[in-house]
Amino acid sequence: MMEESRAGNLDELAGKYLTFTLDEEEYGVDILKVREIIGVMEITAVPHTPDYIKGVINLRGRVIPVIDLRLKFGMEARDYIDRTCIVVIEAHGDEGAIMVGLVVDSVSEVMNVDPEHLETTPSFGGKAVEPENILGMAKVEGEIRILLDVDNVISGGALEGLAE
Amino acid sequence: MAGKGNSLSEILDQMAVKIMMVEPGDLSVVGDLVNLVEELASLAGEKDSPLLARMAGEFHKVLGQVIMAELPDSPENFEALGRAIGIMQEVARKGPADELSKGFAESLGATGYVLSEEFAPGESRPAAPEAKPPAASAPAEVPAATPDFLQDTELLSGFIEEAFEHLESIESNILELENNPGDSEIINNIFRPFHTIKGVSGFLNLMTINKLAHTTENLLDDVRNGSRAMDPEVIDVVLSVGDTLRSMVENVQEVLEEGPDKFKEFDISEYIDLIHTIQGKQSGASPPAAAQEAPAAEAVAEPVAAEETPVEQAGPAKSVPASTKAPAGGASAPAKPAARAAAKVGASIRVDIEKLDGMVNAVGELVIMQAMVRQNPLVSHIADPKLNKDFSQLSRITSELQKTAMSMRMVPIRQTFQKMVRLVRDLSKKSGKLVDLVMSGEETEIDRNMVDSIYDPLVHMIRNSVDHGVQAPEERKGQGKNPTGTVRLSAYQKGGNIVIEIVDDGHGLNTAKIREKAIARGLIRDTDNLSDHELNNLIFLPGFSTADKITDVSGRGVGMDVVKKGVEKLRGKVEVISQPGEGTQFVIRLPLTLAIIDGIIVRVGSERYIIPTIAIQESIRPRREHYNTVHGRGEALMVRDRIIPIVRLGRIFGVESEYDDPCEAIVVVVENEGRLRALMVDELLGKQEVVIKSLGGYMKDIRGVAGGTILGDGRVGLILDLAGLIAVADLRKEDTAEDNKASVEVETETV
Repeated sequence: MMEESRAGNLDELAGKYLTFTLDEEEYGVDILKVREIIGVMEITAVPHTPDYIKGVINLRGRVIPVIDLRLKFGMEARDYIDRTCIVVIEAHGDEGAIMVGLVVDSVSEVMNVDPEHLETTPSFGGKAVEPENILGMAKVEGEIRILLDVDNVISGGALEGLAE
Repeated sequence: MAGKGNSLSEILDQMAVKIMMVEPGDLSVVGDLVNLVEELASLAGEKDSPLLARMAGEFHKVLGQVIMAELPDSPENFEALGRAIGIMQEVARKGPADELSKGFAESLGATGYVLSEEFAPGESRPAAPEAKPPAASAPAEVPAATPDFLQDTELLSGFIEEAFEHLESIESNILELENNPGDSEIINNIFRPFHTIKGVSGFLNLMTINKLAHTTENLLDDVRNGSRAMDPEVIDVVLSVGDTLRSMVENVQEVLEEGPDKFKEFDISEYIDLIHTIQGKQSGASPPAAAQEAPAAEAVAEPVAAEETPVEQAGPAKSVPASTKAPAGGASAPAKPAARAAAKVGASIRVDIEKLDGMVNAVGELVIMQAMVRQNPLVSHIADPKLNKDFSQLSRITSELQKTAMSMRMVPIRQTFQKMVRLVRDLSKKSGKLVDLVMSGEETEIDRNMVDSIYDPLVHMIRNSVDHGVQAPEERKGQGKNPTGTVRLSAYQKGGNIVIEIVDDGHGLNTAKIREKAIARGLIRDTDNLSDHELNNLIFLPGFSTADKITDVSGRGVGMDVVKKGVEKLRGKVEVISQPGEGTQFVIRLPLTLAIIDGIIVRVGSERYIIPTIAIQESIRPRREHYNTVHGRGEALMVRDRIIPIVRLGRIFGVESEYDDPCEAIVVVVENEGRLRALMVDELLGKQEVVIKSLGGYMKDIRGVAGGTILGDGRVGLILDLAGLIAVADLRKEDTAEDNKASVEVETETV
């Protein structure tokens, strides 16, 4: 697995990543955590949740929550079009394994990230994504992709403000 | 030895074959070997081959350590074990011989296993790798500290589970015996479990348990063959022994789960003395007040027995489920308790709860998918009669499947009721009252998940009946009643609910006193006009008690409140009905299962919500003249002479509703914890039983939403949590400015 200390070994981050687009930037998540990718569907809104939690959907009999990554990262919201996808990930939040859907602009590809592609995360100054959500950066064929730490993205901050 | 060797040889031959088939990592074959060696051990014991029996015991232990990964399952080790089997075969053929013992000891030793004293007398133990109990985090202490019995943790878990069952059966049988002292069938039913516990505990090196069970078994044997009469003395001591054994088994469980430092020594010498006394004479001492426990000192508890017990009786060892379902190598959790099949006299099997739940979930999804396919617009447009027929059939089968799956989660309430027998007996003795417990409907089934939660409320209510309801015998006689009071505990299914009733024929509730207390506590006002029934049901409010005397059992005003909360947690209702001088009746209504809820689906805007039917009183389209706005308090509706606050679901949930004017919309009157509210919705869509799906860790604490469900069209509908909803609504009301509708200002009465 490749989720150990971020500040630590960059080489551990090597592997396969699913990349997707958010607001003109490319991001990647560990492919082993991706359960499936589905087209955006009707989301049942759940009251009293932060705005980035869009609600819940029916995933083959299971009710799972859906997070809009744009809103989670403080980017501008955008209407859902047919390219919009929900990436269903299984990650480990504070209470064990959970499945969460992430709304992204569009899905790109599954990409091999080798150690030589990896770079340390520069300080962003003004960029939306907080450092603790980032595992590192990969530069593949001239394009930069930001590798996300999904466990962190869906736990921690997400649970604040929920219990009222 | 020759000639008796036949079946022993057969077993050994099978073992020899198996050991050749073993591959590293293949624990199932090792499991088979364990079964075989157990058989061997018991047979050897029966056939009077003590050496072979001991060898089998040692072999068994080695296998245990291999399973627990304390010894490596390497090819070399299995070869060594193969040699050991060969030696045992020789013993079976030719009889015991010193070189054979030595050879056996050597081959076992070659695996790294440390033999017990008998096989390696005089050999000093090397730094013993003691069997680390699975859950222990303590580093290696003094080797002697580890209780011996931890060698066979799988067998141990099985034993613990079965021991509890035996103990329960012993208790209920003994209580029955009290009423029918001569019934030899019952006496046998008590003797057998003691015999089993004795046997298995001996095999597992649980020596204190073994000794106590053995001594009691002897006593029971005396009763069985008539040399001792069954009288209250015997009954009391058996009950007492049962309690102590239970504590000891619980302690073993603790040690298994938390480590050897939890081990407690139990001093049973008083019991042994007492039982011997009872056996010898006809009258004797009374049981020790409580089981003596010597709490483990700081460092270490001494192991219970120094001597090795050669493997004993045949039968008992077999009743422990063998470790054929070997855990994935080295798994340290004790075997999960298996679910009980319905306790019918017919055959039943043990099933892993996880498998059962998995299946129930899958069936639930099947029902949903089937409905979704059916409702798919393209499908419903196919006007083919055969297709429709087939769909109907499919739907019927799925429904049947679901009912069966659900019923597998149900268990008879008998077990819980049985516990009450002991409770009533002890309570009545303590309070000096004569109480008869009559039960009916024990076969009524409830959801397995409810069993634990219903226990406490029942206990509280029975305590209440015996303590406060039923009067002392003299008082009853004075009133012309039978000096023995009756408490009737019954369960039945009615209208999609389980109903549990507790009825006593005591003196009923003192309604006047309740009223006094309620006024004194400011719960009602002097001028309030409540019916007797309403007054009686005030006892469920926190802190309420009209008892003059507080016993250690009740009277503190805690019980009924706990009962109500417990019942409501199960989405049920409880109420009390009383006749002064005649008695009190508690009625609990519970849903049949926690997984499914019956609800009305309503629409607000484009969202759909489910309101639990049990909370709904009625639904109406409000009439203009009943609608009011209250200054600073929001809107209200007059329904049957009561003023009920209106709650706009759309506003609470941030959803735009279709109708703004309540008189064009629909209002559903709901009740929760005594509060009434009128929920405003756009449309009623139907009544349906829905499967509750948790929204997951994320959303567990959302006020107003209890969970989700998947509706027929595949979309998620939210199930309302009325308590939370009302709380949120009340808060908002304090912030919201007055509504702008035309209004008549009216003074409200608090409902």
